[in-house]
Amino acid sequence: MPQARLSEITRLFVRVGTTVFGGGFPAIAILQREFDRRKWLTPQKFGLALGLARLTPGTNFLAFCAASGWYLAGLAGAVAAVVGSTIGGTILVIWLTRAGELGNAYPLARAVIAALVAAGVGTMLGAAVVLVRSQCSRSEWLRPLAIAVGAFALSWGVGLSPLSVIGITAAAGFFWVD
Amino acid sequence: MNIIVVYLLLLKATLTSFSGLASLPMVRNDFVVRHHALTDRQLNTALAAGRIGPGPLGIYIVAVGYLVAGIPGACAGWLAMITPAFLIIPMIRFLGARAEHPRAQAVTRAVLLGGAGLLASASVPLARDAVTGPLSFAIVAASLGLIALTRLDSLWIMLGAGLAGLIAFQL
Repeated sequence: MPQARLSEITRLFVRVGTTVFGGGFPAIAILQREFDRRKWLTPQKFGLALGLARLTPGTNFLAFCAASGWYLAGLAGAVAAVVGSTIGGTILVIWLTRAGELGNAYPLARAVIAALVAAGVGTMLGAAVVLVRSQCSRSEWLRPLAIAVGAFALSWGVGLSPLSVIGITAAAGFFWVD
Repeated sequence: MNIIVVYLLLLKATLTSFSGLASLPMVRNDFVVRHHALTDRQLNTALAAGRIGPGPLGIYIVAVGYLVAGIPGACAGWLAMITPAFLIIPMIRFLGARAEHPRAQAVTRAVLLGGAGLLASASVPLARDAVTGPLSFAIVAASLGLIALTRLDSLWIMLGAGLAGLIAFQL
């Protein structure tokens, strides 16, 4: 495998983090193509990074960046990958938030922001549906659905804190194995 | 609000979730319900800003930090967003072989599903704030359907919603 230089790693992750829209999965797909093109990561290491990223708390995409950066250049590579993949988006999000807050003073901007906010709520609900569907199959759908609906009921109906709900679902998962 | 507290609260939210938006219920619970540092409308604005920009969905945490404590808050949000990612390094070194264990996989799946339930639960009060008439209801329903049923990039959904708001205002 060719050795990746820190500057090259940083450049790649900045580019992907700043130009890829639609969340972490499209960005991981593009990184996979770039790693393959540069022969930076074996499919085994890529697969392990992806699998462990799903087990890491927080944003899966950032854990994937840390793992692949670690494989490429150790701790410095992990830091370069995580910082590089978030810095452009972070600056843009601060600017967009500021614009959103200032825009509330103008009726036209308020109308556009209200529409964006409504779309944000719809995408949240859609994301919940997609998450549940990703864990369901033709033969195994009742248990995943029961856990998701149960978590909803514990949070919305019973009023348990999110941390308690996560703890209960983790315990349910522990006994999930057939 | 003290910047260290902002960081620790946002870190608690990111450390106890396993996908970008799954931290939202914890964020709402701490910043809107318990500390009253944010309103539901501001949280909605943070979410919208996070969805429009590039990068992971969890980047809305930066906008939450910014709304609570300005630029230092945004830095705290950014740090809270990236900190858990580095946990994968000891996991690679020590847990790599065990990650495929069926019980570890089952716990992760269950937590992911729990996160989905919490996400739906957290969106109910936000929807109450966001849905103010037939147009906003239609936008919520359309964006839900497009996210759930198609592979359309969420940027186009947000741009379409913004355009719908603009046209409705002109009419």
